[in-house]
Amino acid sequence: MTNLRRAQIGLAVLAFVIGIGVLLVVINGEHNTHRGAYAALSLGIGWGFIGTGLYVWRRRPGNNIGPLMTAVGFSGFLKALAFSNSSVVFTIGSLGGVLIYAFLVHLLLSFPSGQLKGPLDRLLVVVTYVNTTVVQLAAFVFTDPAKAGCAHCPANPLLINHSKAAVVINAAQMDIAIALLGAVVAVLYRRWRGSTPSQGRAYAPVLAVGSLTFMLLMTELIVEQANLSSTLADGLTLALFGSIACLPFAFLVGLLRSRFGHAEAISSLVGRLGGGEGRGALRNALAEALGDPTLQLAYWVPDRDAYVDAEGRPRRVDPAPKGKIATTIDHDGRRIAAIVHDADLAGERDLVQAVGAAAALTLENERLDAELRAHIDELRASRARIVTAGYAERRRLERDLHDGAQQRLMALGINLRLARDRIERDPRQTAELLDASLQELSEATGELRELGRGIHPAVLSDRGLDAALKGLAGRAPVPVELVQTPDDRLPSSVESAVYFVVAEALTNVARYAQAQTAKVSVVRRNGQVEVQVSDDGVGGADPEQGSGLRGLSDRVSALDGRLDLTSVAGEGTIVRARIPCG
Amino acid sequence: MIVADDSVLLREGVTRLLEEAGFEVIGQAGDREELMRKTRAHKPDIAIIDIRMPPTHTDEGLQAAREIRQQMPGTGVLVLSAYLEEEYALELLGDDAAGVGYLLKDRVSDGARFAEAVRRVAEGGSALDPEVVSQMLGRRRADDPLEELTPREREVLGLMAEGRSNRAIADALVISERAVEKHVTSIFAKLKLPPAAEDHRRVLAVLAFVGA
Repeated sequence: MTNLRRAQIGLAVLAFVIGIGVLLVVINGEHNTHRGAYAALSLGIGWGFIGTGLYVWRRRPGNNIGPLMTAVGFSGFLKALAFSNSSVVFTIGSLGGVLIYAFLVHLLLSFPSGQLKGPLDRLLVVVTYVNTTVVQLAAFVFTDPAKAGCAHCPANPLLINHSKAAVVINAAQMDIAIALLGAVVAVLYRRWRGSTPSQGRAYAPVLAVGSLTFMLLMTELIVEQANLSSTLADGLTLALFGSIACLPFAFLVGLLRSRFGHAEAISSLVGRLGGGEGRGALRNALAEALGDPTLQLAYWVPDRDAYVDAEGRPRRVDPAPKGKIATTIDHDGRRIAAIVHDADLAGERDLVQAVGAAAALTLENERLDAELRAHIDELRASRARIVTAGYAERRRLERDLHDGAQQRLMALGINLRLARDRIERDPRQTAELLDASLQELSEATGELRELGRGIHPAVLSDRGLDAALKGLAGRAPVPVELVQTPDDRLPSSVESAVYFVVAEALTNVARYAQAQTAKVSVVRRNGQVEVQVSDDGVGGADPEQGSGLRGLSDRVSALDGRLDLTSVAGEGTIVRARIPCG
Repeated sequence: MIVADDSVLLREGVTRLLEEAGFEVIGQAGDREELMRKTRAHKPDIAIIDIRMPPTHTDEGLQAAREIRQQMPGTGVLVLSAYLEEEYALELLGDDAAGVGYLLKDRVSDGARFAEAVRRVAEGGSALDPEVVSQMLGRRRADDPLEELTPREREVLGLMAEGRSNRAIADALVISERAVEKHVTSIFAKLKLPPAAEDHRRVLAVLAFVGA
């Protein structure tokens, strides 16, 4: 049993005992005209609120409504103590009894979430507490009950002296109370108007009885203030007590309706889900079921380890936007989506879960849809990059040809022309010119050979990966160990991708890694080819940096593969690609 | 000898170069079939073959060379290639390095060395392009025994792999033939290779090792 549970049981027992005590006090109260009615109403208010409060507290431990209702119940008992003949008990009751109104205002304004919603709510509650404690005490110390019209009331032990101050303070307290109550009723009305139909049905009994109570209190205060009629004031007080006594039942009905509301929300949701109204319909249905028009959905894409929206665009869920909470929805033990909803629903997370679970299959469908969209977007982007990269590659080739072989051939032509002119005059210089020409020529052919291999290595299509990778490994400036290569041939697109992954990775090793050695392995297993190029260099490579890796990633994605870079500073770099391969 | 290349320009160029170097070119071929026919007819000492020829322009030259080696052991083959790839070279060699060569096409313009390589192959030796050899030596192996070689020994190993004789290695490195022999013994010991007397057997042993 938890401490909270123990405390709640203790409170229940206490309430029972106090209730009996209060009953005796009220029945024996000599300054009381309607003893029977007040006794019954006091018990009804105290036990009713405490009982309902403890029940709600137990069902929704995180919600303040339960504790607040319990507080209302106990302060109701306190109020009844003012009927006592004992001067001390009378004083406690007279001083503390008005707290019930403060608790009621707090309770109604924070219904149903248990949280006060804005600065206005908070201001109203604070002023009410001050008005029922500090101001109440200030008035009481200047009031002699006997001189204030209650002949049978016991003496006031806190009395300083009976003075006009009491009247002034009392009048101010009542004015404040009337204004406060008016404001509270207005706020409650606005809240009811602002709720969705299903919420409205659940809130209506509480808000109606609550507003009635406050209006009765307000009227009673006005009547009392104006000294209109004591009979009317008496009647109003009785009605007020009656109305307060009814409130717990209003809460029970509201609770029940909201429970039915849950069931209804889910069944109407399920009904709408079958409708197939296209994308966005699910969001709308959930928004309606949960009464949160700002509700958003985020779908989980496992291979990205991230959420996307219905259009497949990345969506951040953690941390949730201000004033929002994300509730994760699972299906078959897998995360499928998150419902991003108003923080007000924090106390209703079980409802959000239930609604999410009811919609799980549809959510899963939309999730797949969103995942597909995300992939399509990615595909579109990578296709565009591939096209761009293709043009860039052509420009590079053109430049290499122009700056390299073409220049050398032109220089060669000039040298030959010079040699031709000198051949008879200066045979020695002619020989030098011809040597230079031969050198130029050999470099031009070397460059053309490299260029050709960069476009497509012939050995790859003729002999396969093992032969082509041996060549790559042998030419790399850093010593490269070929750990493993597949014996049989792979589809040529796969072989090409693997070759260029290794080539680019080795180029990067030579350029940035400051490595002593590198290892290359290509393994075919479980229907895919795994390529891994690792080095023992400085690491810390940025995957976003450089178009080379991005281009490779696109090349690999085009074959439904995946390219990963692991590069921790000081621990070398590993480029790993997995490409499906029959 | 026979020169086979689909480019008339190159064919003629190579022919002229070799004739000036004192070789007798008895025939030219523009494709594989012509090459095979003329080789069978003339039984030359050596056929110089471009790796890429019609009809598929991939490796007909290589296939033809292997066929000639199988069918006509007396004819050496020297394949000229635009590709710096060891795989082709190793394929061509197979398990016998006698009378076989694989050179990059660019070597043609270095007349004297080219002629020397042609002569070596025609006489039953071997000629492997230095760049191909350096590519093979450039790769790292797990627990690499090549690491144990001194830089000079690596040089000697490279020249051996090209198919050069001790005499030629000595000339290239400007050391005595005796010194070369000592290096060779040391290399074979370090790589745990069985000693081989003839140059072309030595090539095979070395290549079998570095090409693995």
